Amino acid sequence: MDFSTLTINQIRQGLLDKKFTSVEIVNFFLDRIKKIDPQIKAFITITDEFALNQANILDEKIKKGESIGKLAGSIMAVKDIYLTKDIQTTSSSQVLNGYIPQYSSTVYQRLIDEDAILIGKTNTDVFAFGASTESSGYFTTKNPWNLEMVPGGSSGGSAAAVATNLCHFALGTDTGGSIRQPSSLCSVSGLKPTYGRNSRYGITAMASSFDCPGVFGNNIEDIALVTEITAGKDIHDTTSVDNKVPSYSQNLNKVNLKGLKIGLPKEYFTGAIDPEVKEKVLAAAKEFEKQGATLVDISLPNTDLGIAVYYILIPSEISANMARYDGIRFGQAVTDATDIISYYMQTRGKFMEPEVKRRILIGTYALSSGYYDAYYTKAAKVRTIIKKEFTDALKNIDVILAPCSPTPAWKIGEKVNDPLKMYLADVYTVCINVAGVPGLALPCGLNSQNLPIGFQLIGNFFEEEKLLSLGHQFQQFTDFHTKKPQL
Amino acid sequence: MKITPIIGLEVHVELKTKTKMFCNCSATHFHIDPNTHTCPVCLGLPGALPVPNKTACEWCIKLGLALGCSANLISFFERKNYFYPDLAKGYQLTQLEKPFVINGKINIDGHDIRINRAHMEEDTGKSVHITENGQDLTLIDFNRCGVPLVEIVSEPDIISPEMARNYLLKLQQIIRYLGISDADIEKGSMRCEPTINLKIEKDGKDFYTPLVEVKNVASLTGVQNAIQFEINRQTQEFEKTGEEKSKTNKTTRGWDADKNQTFLQREKEGSSDYRYFPEPDIPHIEFSDAEIAKIKSEIPELPDQKFVRYQKDLGLNDYDVTQLLADVNFSAAFEKSIGQNPTAAFAKFNANLFLGAIKTYFNESKDDLDINRINFDYFKNLFDAVSKSEISATAAKYLIVESYQSQIDPVYIAKNEGLIQVSDTSAIENFAKQVIESNPKAVEDYKKNPASIGFLIGQLMKASGGSANPSLAKEILERLLGP
Amino acid sequence: MSSQKISMAELEYIAKLARINLSESEKTTFLPQLESVIEYFDILNKVDTSNIEPTFRVNDQSNVFHSDEIKESLPVDLALSTATRTKDNYFVVTATIKK
Repeated sequence: MDFSTLTINQIRQGLLDKKFTSVEIVNFFLDRIKKIDPQIKAFITITDEFALNQANILDEKIKKGESIGKLAGSIMAVKDIYLTKDIQTTSSSQVLNGYIPQYSSTVYQRLIDEDAILIGKTNTDVFAFGASTESSGYFTTKNPWNLEMVPGGSSGGSAAAVATNLCHFALGTDTGGSIRQPSSLCSVSGLKPTYGRNSRYGITAMASSFDCPGVFGNNIEDIALVTEITAGKDIHDTTSVDNKVPSYSQNLNKVNLKGLKIGLPKEYFTGAIDPEVKEKVLAAAKEFEKQGATLVDISLPNTDLGIAVYYILIPSEISANMARYDGIRFGQAVTDATDIISYYMQTRGKFMEPEVKRRILIGTYALSSGYYDAYYTKAAKVRTIIKKEFTDALKNIDVILAPCSPTPAWKIGEKVNDPLKMYLADVYTVCINVAGVPGLALPCGLNSQNLPIGFQLIGNFFEEEKLLSLGHQFQQFTDFHTKKPQL
Repeated sequence: MKITPIIGLEVHVELKTKTKMFCNCSATHFHIDPNTHTCPVCLGLPGALPVPNKTACEWCIKLGLALGCSANLISFFERKNYFYPDLAKGYQLTQLEKPFVINGKINIDGHDIRINRAHMEEDTGKSVHITENGQDLTLIDFNRCGVPLVEIVSEPDIISPEMARNYLLKLQQIIRYLGISDADIEKGSMRCEPTINLKIEKDGKDFYTPLVEVKNVASLTGVQNAIQFEINRQTQEFEKTGEEKSKTNKTTRGWDADKNQTFLQREKEGSSDYRYFPEPDIPHIEFSDAEIAKIKSEIPELPDQKFVRYQKDLGLNDYDVTQLLADVNFSAAFEKSIGQNPTAAFAKFNANLFLGAIKTYFNESKDDLDINRINFDYFKNLFDAVSKSEISATAAKYLIVESYQSQIDPVYIAKNEGLIQVSDTSAIENFAKQVIESNPKAVEDYKKNPASIGFLIGQLMKASGGSANPSLAKEILERLLGP
Repeated sequence: MSSQKISMAELEYIAKLARINLSESEKTTFLPQLESVIEYFDILNKVDTSNIEPTFRVNDQSNVFHSDEIKESLPVDLALSTATRTKDNYFVVTATIKK
């Protein structure tokens, strides 16, 4: 039986009906991973023992007729920046090679508590700093659609794992596009919820006021089910919000497409956008129009400032968040430094990857005395402007539709020597993080090179329910999301 | 040359909340096994996030209000970034732009010392430096990391070492009366760093010497001595070099208590750029006027107010009042012992007992005064008995300590131990007549030398089994024996 | 504000402030990369932000606290389990710290 194409609900029901066992499912995926992962290298750690142990316990529960979790038996992959107690967590950095965490991320634990099975930790850009997974301190994940291309990033491993059905769903984080962009480049669906919807506790911090834990899946119902479980207040994260969590999976057909006003921001369809990307994304918009929605041209005039705002604020927060990596309480360290300053400099210098160093340096510079007002405060003020632009636009329309990436996947190595070029490609995703609003990425076809193209639906704060309903319905009247790479 | 010291004090006070500032670990760290009160948050593990302690914030505001500060209704935390092994996150959570409270003042010896601000921050872990097999090692215990600290910054309004000392004592007293910290300088729950420079008037012009911040003063005497040393050193330095203060020549010096001098600390390159920015992991904090008013209403009567009340309402003298107020526990026990609306005599009676017998007892005992063992009734009964001369003032000192220990009414103890004085004049007269009759030689001695009455008094005391009021006995004997 | 390029001396100062050792080749690679990124920031100068309040946190929360009740700490073995070096339940740094 091909367990990889079943939904979470189908897996769970099948277990309850005793059609198959959890151990069978795990072994199926472990075999599949053995065959496919060496080609794409989505995983840093494959947690076979842990998964089988979980599966055995679950099968026992089912045998005894005990109640099982809402995600029982579903196979999950987790981006390696989520701390998983007793299981190695590296953040794809040599700094944390061999680090066995003392506690687990809240989001991860909530899923485990509902009997989701952890199959492995996925590769990412180092500490989630990047948009191609190339900055990983271990290896680069390959795009399953073309092994010479990047899968996008930073959650490239998770996107690739879902694209090749090596799991049912995968956890990622989206700080500047790191769920939405790889979703588009790999032809999977991915939700970046509102900032504060999911707890950040237990995830290695990149930029504290931007990081959004989220999920990749092959269908919207699965994404909705997972988000129902992960979302909600966490006493360990003061930025997690107390808003009631809707039953997303029960309301997937709620939004009426007739009369729905979809805004197309002109700034997202001009400039360096690849013509096929533009074509396919506008075609996706037209699909909504066929169902009765109205397309409205809108303008988000300060879009071009988003990159500068983002790349001042996030390295600033990164530079402070990375200060705890000193090899004393955890992490690798040099053992032959003489004085304390050399100890710090050599430890961090030896084990931190180049992209980590670059971002810390930019952030330290932007916060340093003499530059703070010109950069940090200035960027924070423009952040206010960009945030207001979204909330104002969404007063007159129901949802914004835009591409996630100006181009499809590019060749591995093509942009690594030009960080600014890499950063500029984030233009369609970063403003959403600057504002804090939610975005759902959906596949919308393949280009002439058989490379995926995707788009995003952007809503106002805490409108995940609307986005998921629109995404689900889109996937009823189109079949882009069913296309899979041939490996 | 006229020298005027300009001194500011920065004081850190460890709050005695149950939990740390940003996590629920126990905040106790004195004599606790190393690294047993830690969690992902205070250890600065990857992915951990801070959650502020509400009680600590309220206590900081309470302290600020008690110092006459106004509260910033909106405030927030900031990150102060620097590297040191006992600073787990590589940044300290503190407040810069919007501290909880600002603009207060304390009056010391008739001089107003303005308080610039008081804010919340977290303490670091503790480092111990050792050498093992020729290698320098630093051992770190993170139990203290994250403990709530209030930082109180004065304006440079202090003008002498003595004033600095008195400022610290007053601050310490207020803090202890608020019950928010033990503020013990020796144990490190109150730390002080003076910043000193001088105004030198010379040839009709004013010069200002460079600012010096002094660290590592671990006692009140240390603060005084360090300030005095700096006044002398800066005077000499100015006479030698004429260097004046500028934006870039503030230095940090350490205090060496053994050598009684300050020394220049190694310049930590680039360490002064802390790159403060608002803490993104903690939402801002808002208090309403009503909430501030409520916190203010919870401030108990403070030492200065008690001072006035003890003088005016209780009629106690300055010296007694100062002594009674020196210890929070003591003054609370004293107040319990006098009850409501005591007479001046009763208040004075109790004050004497507290400052005499009771203080002596606790100076010698290992235990602390337990206010639950202080009974208003015991004091009242004892006072009444002494007023009626049924118990001597001397016996009262002994009895009050006994009654504290045994929790038995002191008058009852007196009865049992035969300490009730007979002050019945006729009874004593009878004893006196007996004694006069039985001691003709002593009577003769007395007629020759009145100072020798002691023997007869002694005999009378013996005859009465020790219960006669000795001063009455003397009076009656003298009367009977005549001039 | 005119475009600021960083000098090598500034880069070295920032690296020390951030406690990161840079090899000579890293310095020569990073300097132009950092320069181009920092120069790019000048694009913000075209916006008038004189009457705008900065946004440091995107949601409107306030007053999120923990109550002063003690919860169990990590067992000491677990707390120390990831340390590079320990001694008698202390974390150890092998380096000289001059006071």
